[in-house]
Amino acid sequence: MSHAVIWIVGLSALGVVVVRRRSVAIALVGLQSLVLGAQAISQAAGASTVLLVAGIVLVAKAIALPALLAAVVSRTREPGRMASERHPLARLTVALAVALAVVALMPDIGLAQVAVEHTAVGLVALGIAIAVVRRPAVFQALGFLVVENGIYLAALAAPKGFPVFIELGLVFDLVVVVSVAGAFSAKIHEEFGTGDTSLLGDLRD
Amino acid sequence: MTEGLVIAVPALPVACGLLIQFARTPRGADRIHLLGALVTATAASLLAIVAFTHSADPIRGTWYVLDGASGAFLAVVAVIGVLSALVSPGYLTGTQHSLFASSRARTWYYLGFHLFWAALLAVPLVDNLAVAWLLVEATTGASALLVAYSGRRSALEAGWKYLVLTTFGLTVALTGIFVLYVGLAPHGGVLGTLDWQSIARHRSSLSRHAALLAFLLIIGGLATKIGWAPVHNWLPDAHSESPPPISAMLSGALLPTVILVAWRVLVTLGPALHPGVGDAILMGFGLASLSIAVPFLWRPLPWKRLLAYSSLEHMGVLALGIGFANPLATAGVVLHLAGHALAKALGFYAAIPLLQHQAEAGEHPPRGIARLSTGTATAIGVSLGALSGLPPSPLFFSELLILAGGIAGGHLVVAVLAAALLALGFLGLAHALIEGLLGGEQHHRWQRGRSVRAVERLAWAMGFGLLALSACAYLLPGSPAVRMLMGGLT
Repeated sequence: MSHAVIWIVGLSALGVVVVRRRSVAIALVGLQSLVLGAQAISQAAGASTVLLVAGIVLVAKAIALPALLAAVVSRTREPGRMASERHPLARLTVALAVALAVVALMPDIGLAQVAVEHTAVGLVALGIAIAVVRRPAVFQALGFLVVENGIYLAALAAPKGFPVFIELGLVFDLVVVVSVAGAFSAKIHEEFGTGDTSLLGDLRD
Repeated sequence: MTEGLVIAVPALPVACGLLIQFARTPRGADRIHLLGALVTATAASLLAIVAFTHSADPIRGTWYVLDGASGAFLAVVAVIGVLSALVSPGYLTGTQHSLFASSRARTWYYLGFHLFWAALLAVPLVDNLAVAWLLVEATTGASALLVAYSGRRSALEAGWKYLVLTTFGLTVALTGIFVLYVGLAPHGGVLGTLDWQSIARHRSSLSRHAALLAFLLIIGGLATKIGWAPVHNWLPDAHSESPPPISAMLSGALLPTVILVAWRVLVTLGPALHPGVGDAILMGFGLASLSIAVPFLWRPLPWKRLLAYSSLEHMGVLALGIGFANPLATAGVVLHLAGHALAKALGFYAAIPLLQHQAEAGEHPPRGIARLSTGTATAIGVSLGALSGLPPSPLFFSELLILAGGIAGGHLVVAVLAAALLALGFLGLAHALIEGLLGGEQHHRWQRGRSVRAVERLAWAMGFGLLALSACAYLLPGSPAVRMLMGGLT
């Protein structure tokens, strides 16, 4: 796998941590999925079933789901920057620290390319960090997509890939969960007038 | 014939949920829903009987397995599913507000309910870790909007928390499955690599650290969905904010179903770790869950929130029983699983008349229900009495079996700690039971309406069911099903 692919998927995840606009973050995750999808298609040359599944995954993750989230964003306009959001530099510091710590602590999982393995583990950690440090509801769905892209990247580097049945099942689950997250995001905005998830803190004992 | 039934069991509720979308009236939707639920439960019960009769020699298809464990868990999911289906029309009729547009709210509820039930019925049947993961993840997608069904702000918060926390937890488990797959790939590199038997057969080829990493990630990820402490944050909120029939499904069917996946992982992958490590991790989750839950059982919580913390306590008991890995404890786990599901479901069904007659019961603990409604009080009494472990509750016998199994397995300190926590939990729930039935000043009796009558009938039926389970406490230890569970859920 080329270094360009690794850099693009890594930097796009960091971009999601930093950017303010939800539409830009959606575009970054769409780009990340597109690059990974193209890589999967290039690796699948000659194997028709694998090629078909790689195409379905690309369409779902790089086109359909970003389009769905973009539709949610267009229906739920935010008046300005959310007060509960921390400074971009603070977010980046926390997310990078989490990702680097996880990469350093995670034992070797047996992939041939160490750089791919580290990037994949880093993406999983960054996806979870995105859900923690970003307040708009849409970003938590994007965090899930970044985690899934991390696992997808690792699967592309695995000696025999992930079984196609599992790839298809994952895409199906992803579509369902992101659709439900989109519906929630719209409802939260309708109820609170904003998609700020820090307002969801009434249930305590 | 068997394979047809295996396919039909999850397919029937899916078909029913879709068919309901064509219903023209609420009554028509109710009829299709109830008919579909009865047919599904009958098919699932037949399949559970087939699984029990073959527990000594499990039936394996290309993608499914029918063993004693599938039979036990399938039976529990079928019973809780059909009971929740039966009380759902009554709940919906008495509900004014919903997350969905009023014209479609009922049919959306039924669609979500049947998809959720279908995924739950399929989990015990599948013979593959990755497919089981996909189905567990599908339960989140199907049930998250049901959790927020009432449309209240608090319900939105609970549904969102449930969706986000369990989804991210399950991605951690997926990472562990991937680590396991890579470790086992030299023996397959296909879907069958993650079949339960394949994992058990090839686990010795995994390095100790790869096996431990995979195990920790998978069990840690599944723990978020089971609601084991300390990754249980969604559980009290989702259980207390969901519609009562869905709360019953979450507590009585979803949590145990995911426990079965964790149990199969322990049995198949655990021996590749240092001896006792896998069991110790389960015991750690068990003690942590009991320690977190018990203080809340002493607090004056609203009825459904109290039941939610009781779920945390009982999932901890199940983790301990599985971790003890002893025939007595295993018999206790099977009994506890069924007894908890019945008692907890009844408790949530009692919340239907309770919330209909006392809107403030969503915020405050119930008081003096015995003076207000004999039927509701009967349900609350049977449920809380059984959940506290008051004899002759099956949970009294199952907890005894689990503790005895722990002592027999050489885990004396853990068993003594667990016994102390269970005793404290019993006192907390006993206090809540007395206050709930007899406390406070209440004078205006409720009308004995449809929901009260339904809950009263369920209380009697489920009370007898609980007594029947208590009788099973004498039959289970040493039975073929328990021997098979000890021999391996593979």
